[in-house]
Amino acid sequence: MNELKSDLSVVGKRIPKLDASLKAMGRAEYIQDIKLPGMVYGKILYSSYAHANIIKIDTSKAVALPGVHAVLTGEDIPGKMKMGFYKDNPPIKKGKVCSFRDEVAAVAAKSPEIARKALSLIEIEYEELEGIFDPEKAMKKDSPLVHEKNKTNILKLPWKLHYGDVEKAGEKAAFTVEDRFSTTWVTHCCLGTSGAVALFDANDNLTIYTNTQIPSLAQKDFLEALKAMGLENKRARVIKPVIGGGFGSKLDTYAYEHIAILLAHKCRKPVKLTFDRQEEFKATSTRQPAIIDIRQGCDKNGKLLFRDIKMILDNGAYTSWGATTPSVMMMPVTSLYRVKNVRYSAKCVYTNNTYSQAMRGYGNPQATFAIESSMDMLAEKAGIDPIEFRRINRNHPGDVTPQKFKITTCGLDLCLDTVEKELKENNIKQKGVGIGIASLIHVGGGARIYKSDGCGAILKMDDYGKVDIFTGGTDMGQGLDNITAQIVAEELGLFAEDINVVHTDTDVCPWDVGAHASRSTFVAGNAALGAAKKVKEKLLEFGSKILDADPGDLVLRDRLIFVPGDNEKKMAIDKLLRKAHFSPGGTMLMADFFYDPDNENLGKEFKGNMSMTYTFGVHGVRVKVDVETGKVEVLEYVAAHDVGRAINPLLLEGQVYGGVVMGLGYALTEEVVHKKGKNMNANFRDYKLFTAKDAIKIKAPVLETPDKDGPFGAKGIGEPGCVPTAPAIANAIYDAVGVRIYDLPITPEKVLAALKEKNN
Amino acid sequence: MKAFKYLSPKSVEEAIAFHGRHSETSRFIGGGTDVIVKLKEGWMEPDFLISLKKIKEMGELSKNNATGELSIGAMVTHATLEKSIMIQKEYPIIYDAVSNIGSLQVRNVGTIGGNLINAVPSADGAIPLIALDGVALLHGPDGERSASVKDLFIKPYKTILKPGEILKKITIPPQEPYTGSAYIKFGRRAAMELPLVGIGVLLTLDHARKICKKARICLGVAAPVPMRAFDAEKFLAGKEINEETLVKAGRIAADESKVRDSVRGKAWHRKEMIRVQVKRMGQKCLELIRNNN
Repeated sequence: MNELKSDLSVVGKRIPKLDASLKAMGRAEYIQDIKLPGMVYGKILYSSYAHANIIKIDTSKAVALPGVHAVLTGEDIPGKMKMGFYKDNPPIKKGKVCSFRDEVAAVAAKSPEIARKALSLIEIEYEELEGIFDPEKAMKKDSPLVHEKNKTNILKLPWKLHYGDVEKAGEKAAFTVEDRFSTTWVTHCCLGTSGAVALFDANDNLTIYTNTQIPSLAQKDFLEALKAMGLENKRARVIKPVIGGGFGSKLDTYAYEHIAILLAHKCRKPVKLTFDRQEEFKATSTRQPAIIDIRQGCDKNGKLLFRDIKMILDNGAYTSWGATTPSVMMMPVTSLYRVKNVRYSAKCVYTNNTYSQAMRGYGNPQATFAIESSMDMLAEKAGIDPIEFRRINRNHPGDVTPQKFKITTCGLDLCLDTVEKELKENNIKQKGVGIGIASLIHVGGGARIYKSDGCGAILKMDDYGKVDIFTGGTDMGQGLDNITAQIVAEELGLFAEDINVVHTDTDVCPWDVGAHASRSTFVAGNAALGAAKKVKEKLLEFGSKILDADPGDLVLRDRLIFVPGDNEKKMAIDKLLRKAHFSPGGTMLMADFFYDPDNENLGKEFKGNMSMTYTFGVHGVRVKVDVETGKVEVLEYVAAHDVGRAINPLLLEGQVYGGVVMGLGYALTEEVVHKKGKNMNANFRDYKLFTAKDAIKIKAPVLETPDKDGPFGAKGIGEPGCVPTAPAIANAIYDAVGVRIYDLPITPEKVLAALKEKNN
Repeated sequence: MKAFKYLSPKSVEEAIAFHGRHSETSRFIGGGTDVIVKLKEGWMEPDFLISLKKIKEMGELSKNNATGELSIGAMVTHATLEKSIMIQKEYPIIYDAVSNIGSLQVRNVGTIGGNLINAVPSADGAIPLIALDGVALLHGPDGERSASVKDLFIKPYKTILKPGEILKKITIPPQEPYTGSAYIKFGRRAAMELPLVGIGVLLTLDHARKICKKARICLGVAAPVPMRAFDAEKFLAGKEINEETLVKAGRIAADESKVRDSVRGKAWHRKEMIRVQVKRMGQKCLELIRNNN
């Protein structure tokens, strides 16, 4: 464990987001603000059915409409152009539609109004097919098939593990609980809706503006798309405007991007395709619903003996990253608390519902809802206080979990103590009031999902003491630009505002696998630090010549290079830089660095140290339940996390607040309502995202446990805030009124129904 | 959104005349919190929007101290009502309702008249005005007429207003002593919310503050249009108001409601909420009467 460095001047400071004023003044340029000469507007027509054969499409009236530049149907899509990790999703469907969000045609026109009008002129004849909307039913032999050629709705994915011996451990258990939990669709609700602007140069090289979280991987997808279009050996340049929120929604490439590319190529003009809010709700992906059967047992002293979990995940009609979330669910399943005997399996099932995608926590919130609800139930059965029960089973530094995760720093004990103290301080037992807690584990030191978990950075200094750093890491609102700037400024003795972070353009920025898995501070932070260290070495070396000092005695701080205590040996860094450039045999202050953490892909039996370090946290909540209405009021919320080191406590708290509010929505109000595959609440009126007025006061104790591998000791904290919220609330409701809610969201209806059942 | 011309007449007569010239292609607009959404969604595509904002008399809120009659111009915003000390003190049921409409921004532009004319089953503004026996003053090409607020609504999005007719103002008759009134919007969120049910109760007691002289129990989202629970009102009239009678009134009101299942909520839960909230609002009325008189 690193000692906390106390002499830091920029790292650890509460520096407001560098782009805050731009955003506040409306000057930040989002995808909606991009306007290019000659640009036309794309629009997508979606299916009218959840499941149907397309008998006939007639686009002649749309083509004939003045102002229309191009019309596309499934027939125009190159056969090899497929999206998603399973490559089962063409950007426009041909022959058959499998969900209401299936794209069936697209147009490009002079104005959005003409594009909309053109869509209304496209005539499609469908033959409706029986749809399947329940994953359990979809698994049955006689179920209608979403994709006939597969001969089953169950995806062939390997999500299955068994460590130790669950059956044997089950026989020894003094106490066992077994229950079924379920979760539903929720969506990211990015304030900046999705969109892209695509254009080709005269040589058929593509430039695409898109608000993606994965510029480098998107570039690969777009190059594949070009190849499928017969455009071999071309370039694809990805430019990111300011991203108005990602939360996992922009972790894949989508139909709107591919369609913009196809339309741009067809009409030889820049094509802009942006979603309105309704489209954002209907045609972007959700967190996947899960049905979770869980069995856990402990011995008479409360020591966990086994955990046995089976899941069914509603994949929807196509396959994006949602289908891979079981790989992350395995983390809490095998490694939240010490448990030797673990069995887990998950089936992803095609239905005619919307398809799911990555969303903050990547499966962890679903799994943790079941695990942490079940932990409380087991504690009660064993007659042990729920906090004590968790203390008995907590992870320790130095543990290697059954999945071979190497726990380095672990502040779970600290988090438990902190939350317990906060909650029990003024715990006067009142009718209808109760407390609940839940813990979390999440990757905090990158996550080797792909063969690489790397990120590159290029750093150059100018003559004026300013730095440009070109990073692969993506700031999508979470504040990576600040983190990068603070790390670089600290290392080079500058101020955060001296650092210009460029992350917007694949033509100039190095490679990175994307903003996911809470990895950016850790991985992109280490990449920036690596580059800064190399430049620092050059600066010190050059400074030692100019100032006639030993490089080891020189310090960079407050824009100065100096030998402490020696007033003669001091110079402004910018002056030194000018000397470096203007002296004979001058040198450039520039460096690149590629950081790929020493973590492992999950190998045989899904074992391997996926992350360099793991972040732990405990959330505690006090709720009040209105027993006549079923309404739950959150009175107090404490979210304690073991963060390694806070590079910027202000932003860190922001991450936690945002995560918790997202988690509260997941727990209490949010739900995409689908009726036979049709989205019934595609607006903020009926999709109950928490409003500012609903947000509650959150205490976010930042517990520092500096990690030897993190930049200045930092661990990732992007996702944890929304992971254990729902089970903490469910546990508090049980404590308050004695009813257990097994299905999210916990609406007043469900609570009242449970209360009535209990009283009958 | 289709392009339109925006007209700002300065009097009701001028507005009606404008409308008369383009009756098929023009629409009145108040605060715009509903109309603009409809324009954007393409649900209405007028060539002319006739704004009522510049008509001074329609924006006036006043109480005649001699007669005790309250007059609310149709263009009075929710925020104006919310901030009025007189409304807060003397008409708490109006305050309860308007202070929870939409958001601060919506309340700053949305008007009470627009809330009525939009005629949704969930109109928060309608319930208190019905409970207070409000009267709507309409002005159209054929002159003025009035109707009780409770009779304004025909079905969702449809009122008794004829083409070219404007809701000018709402008058509230003087309130009797020993009257209390309260409204609750029962929803799932604290803002930007439509009620699952909206419950308004007004009680007038005798001078001993025991026996109910008059009861108004008004329900939103309990039927296609805002409704009065007449059976429950009749039950309470002449009875002593206490826990027992209020519980019973709640049950009666729930029974006479015509709630249904929707995406937003289940009928059984709505019914439960009517039962519980009629009782609670009744209790709140009692508290107000006891504290005020």
